[in-house]
Amino acid sequence: MSGFGPALKDLVVNRVMQRARIKRGPMTYPFELQYRHIYILPTKFGWGFGLLLLLMALGGLNFNNNMALMLVFLLGTIAQLTTFIAYRNLSELSIDSIHAEPIFCGEVAHFRTFISNGDERQRFAVQAGFDKPLDCSDFKLNVCEPLNLAFPTVKRGWAEMPSFRLETRFPLGLFKAWSWVFPQIQCLVYPAPAINAPPLPSTGQGQSGMAKKGSGDQIYGLRQYQAGDSMQRIAWRASARHDDLYSLEMEAPREQACELDWDSLRDENLETRLSILTAWVIAADHKQLLYSLKLPSAQVTCGSGDDHRSKCLELLALFEQ
Amino acid sequence: MNTRHAAILWVIAALGISMLPQLIGMPVLVVAIALLPIVWRLLAQFRNWKPMSIWLRVLATAFAVTALFLTYGQLLGRRIAVSMLLLMLSLKLLETFRIRDARIVASLSLFLCATQFLFHQGIPMIVYFIACLLSTLTALMYLQRQEAFANLRNIPETGRSLFSELGFGLRLMLLALPVGLALFLLFPRWVSPLWGVPEDALDARSGLSDSMTPGSIQSLYMDDSPAFRAAFEGPVPSRGELYWRGPVFWDFDGRRWRGNYLGRTIDATTKPDPGKAPFRYSVQMEPTEQSWLFALDYPALEPRGASLSMDYQLITRQPITQLRNYVMASDPDFVDTPQLGLTMRGAALELPVGFNPRTAKMVAGWRRETNSDAAIIRRALAHFNQEQFHYTLNPPLLNRNTIDEFLFDTRRGFCEHYASAFTVMMRMAGIPARIVTGYQGGWYSEMGSYVLVRQSDAHAWSEVWIRGTGWRRVDPTAAVAPERVERGAMSLAIPRRHILDFEWLRDVRNTLDLLQRGWNSWVIAFDSDRQSRLFTVFGWGIFDSAKLVIAMGVTLLVAGAAIFMIMPLLLRFRSSRKQDPLVRLWQKFITKLANAGLDPQPSMGPAEIAAMASAQLSYAADVIYRITELYTFCRYSPRNSGQVELKELIQDFNPSRTDEYARREP
Repeated sequence: MSGFGPALKDLVVNRVMQRARIKRGPMTYPFELQYRHIYILPTKFGWGFGLLLLLMALGGLNFNNNMALMLVFLLGTIAQLTTFIAYRNLSELSIDSIHAEPIFCGEVAHFRTFISNGDERQRFAVQAGFDKPLDCSDFKLNVCEPLNLAFPTVKRGWAEMPSFRLETRFPLGLFKAWSWVFPQIQCLVYPAPAINAPPLPSTGQGQSGMAKKGSGDQIYGLRQYQAGDSMQRIAWRASARHDDLYSLEMEAPREQACELDWDSLRDENLETRLSILTAWVIAADHKQLLYSLKLPSAQVTCGSGDDHRSKCLELLALFEQ
Repeated sequence: MNTRHAAILWVIAALGISMLPQLIGMPVLVVAIALLPIVWRLLAQFRNWKPMSIWLRVLATAFAVTALFLTYGQLLGRRIAVSMLLLMLSLKLLETFRIRDARIVASLSLFLCATQFLFHQGIPMIVYFIACLLSTLTALMYLQRQEAFANLRNIPETGRSLFSELGFGLRLMLLALPVGLALFLLFPRWVSPLWGVPEDALDARSGLSDSMTPGSIQSLYMDDSPAFRAAFEGPVPSRGELYWRGPVFWDFDGRRWRGNYLGRTIDATTKPDPGKAPFRYSVQMEPTEQSWLFALDYPALEPRGASLSMDYQLITRQPITQLRNYVMASDPDFVDTPQLGLTMRGAALELPVGFNPRTAKMVAGWRRETNSDAAIIRRALAHFNQEQFHYTLNPPLLNRNTIDEFLFDTRRGFCEHYASAFTVMMRMAGIPARIVTGYQGGWYSEMGSYVLVRQSDAHAWSEVWIRGTGWRRVDPTAAVAPERVERGAMSLAIPRRHILDFEWLRDVRNTLDLLQRGWNSWVIAFDSDRQSRLFTVFGWGIFDSAKLVIAMGVTLLVAGAAIFMIMPLLLRFRSSRKQDPLVRLWQKFITKLANAGLDPQPSMGPAEIAAMASAQLSYAADVIYRITELYTFCRYSPRNSGQVELKELIQDFNPSRTDEYARREP
């Protein structure tokens, strides 16, 4: 019996949401909330308050106490007015964009939902959340503010942002106006790094390995002069033989470079292997090593830096998906 | 205001305000118990105390209930129930640390406010009404804010002042007023209550009571509250004729006068003919908790729920706990009881044995001199008139033989002393006599054309029975102080009753009573009767409940539609004033360019606009560049420098008047 209620609710809510989603079509940004997107119902407190008003009205009618009745009628009308205010607090807000930084599996994905208020009225206490409200903000005139929607991740790959609610209980908390948003936004989830990963394979090739160009004390070669090259780097002799100016290109040799190879991990299952490779990528990046990644389906050549790291991690996240 | 404390402070304010009228009437101990939790909660807020433990809270509650029981001696009755609600709400503050609890306190303080209208519904209560409503709305608003930002570390300031927070509540209230009023007028009222109105519906009010001792009417003299108002249809009787008849007393125990059981319970056998009654008037009577209606001698009608007793008192079956309206006719020439039965004659002559020997001796002397009842009455009135009797507010205390002491020793008294002494003297002389209490006179309002009778107009007089003419009114006070009857109790040369007792102030108060009367008839006494007669003004006849429901529906629809159309305007009005002045200037510039035939797109920035405009309006290129540069500078500069120049430039910029620019070109 206990599971029946939530199951029924789930079914109904899912049905309704699915219909709404189909009706609304694909999501395009900026997405402005219109009257047909906004629902409104009393909150628990609203129901309680209504009951209280009912009791007061009964008492007032029974004793024909007109001041008490006037109080009830005014409060009732005010409560009714707040539905309108709550609706206006939400309508014509615009969801400009949603952005999520890639994270590691098991971490919380932060979907930063940028909402702007282009209308000539201030909005107060607009909340957003999946089941429960997670973040809240006021929206002054002509501003765009992010609401942060945190969502825990359990699987690597692309994590679809679940549909979320923009809601407000402004001004008295008697009514909740809300609107469902089906964001169609994904967040890249890297595999969780293995906790006790084996040490980095040091299959580096020492001085003969890849070196970082551009700075250092060893001459790597010549290239055409570019504006900004130091005067001391100009290869005067070489330049004299040609019409153009040439600069010396320098390099700094690396102590180590490593190859992160899928095949070097034989006995593990797929996810564990990916975890270990992820841990290695992080470790190698942390030590500012040059590293390459080799997977059965693809490989990344030796490199370093943020872009390289992202490329490797993305490959791991989407492996066999 | 600090948003962290704002919500709870407003909740406490809302509770405090709604408590006020109830606190004023409560014993000091209960007031102290009610205020302590508030103080504790305030300290807890500012000193970060933890919530009180459950045992302490239970203990405090038990203590409060016990104290309430001990002070009132019982736990039944409406006053005590409301006191209990107040105490419980106050004690609830001890555990109010969550939004849910705070909301309960705020909403129930509205309930407390509604209960207060059971006890007072005067005009000053409007202020209380508004204060309660505003403070609760503000409290709920802050609570909502606190709830919304619960996940965040702090609540952002709204950038609005306390004044505008209240203004928001006030605006809500004003917007709700039209529909609220429509509901008030149109919501069908119940013809009779579903459950009983308890007898202690009101606090014991001052007014005439069912017995009279020396000093009981004198205490009313201090009370300026209205007793009733009478609007006459025809001629208004002269002041000396305005004897409003109330409780009639027969039984005397030497000190206290009481009503006679038979006189009160047996209905009058002959009643004045309403058709012949020269005075017709409608009375709006304030609640008294007693069961007498007041009418001029002799009442000819029996209003609903009241009957005319043998001694012509109008007695209601239920105590009058609410404002009451009734129509009355009076015939002063009615002959009351031409034949007095033996029982009643006995009751009208009975005196306690062994009291007032000196008076008895004096009256016996009169009786020996004359046989005529009329002569005895004249003799007695002359006695009051010729001897040194004083009409005073502060008569000396009287001991056992009240009449003897008054007549021979103190000779100072109020109307009840004179009436009492006179009646006793009459009985000693063998003339049947009784005491009538009620009100004498009243203030005639020219503007409202009605007579306002205040508690301070309370009076007591005598009636004597004479064969052939029946009961006749004799007012011994008139013999001592005729101005009391002619010009009212206030005209007497009695020292001021209190520090604010001036004649002009009394006049102001009397004039302002017009407001009170309107308030009474339109707000307090508005009921299903009055509601159904509401539309007779428009000639639509009397509305039954079915028509009323339709009218209500239509009104609500119209009012609702009106509000939905007005609301956006009202909400927009405030925010539109907040537009950035720089944006406004820029818009003006763009409009001027558009007027000159250019087509500036919304997507264009200032630089693009400048390039396009200067290309097309080459004669004004300098000005255009200067304007766009200045605009960009103002936009990004931290200070407002340059805005004045920009304004001037844009004002002077007029691309359509080409000749002027042409002249400027070198």
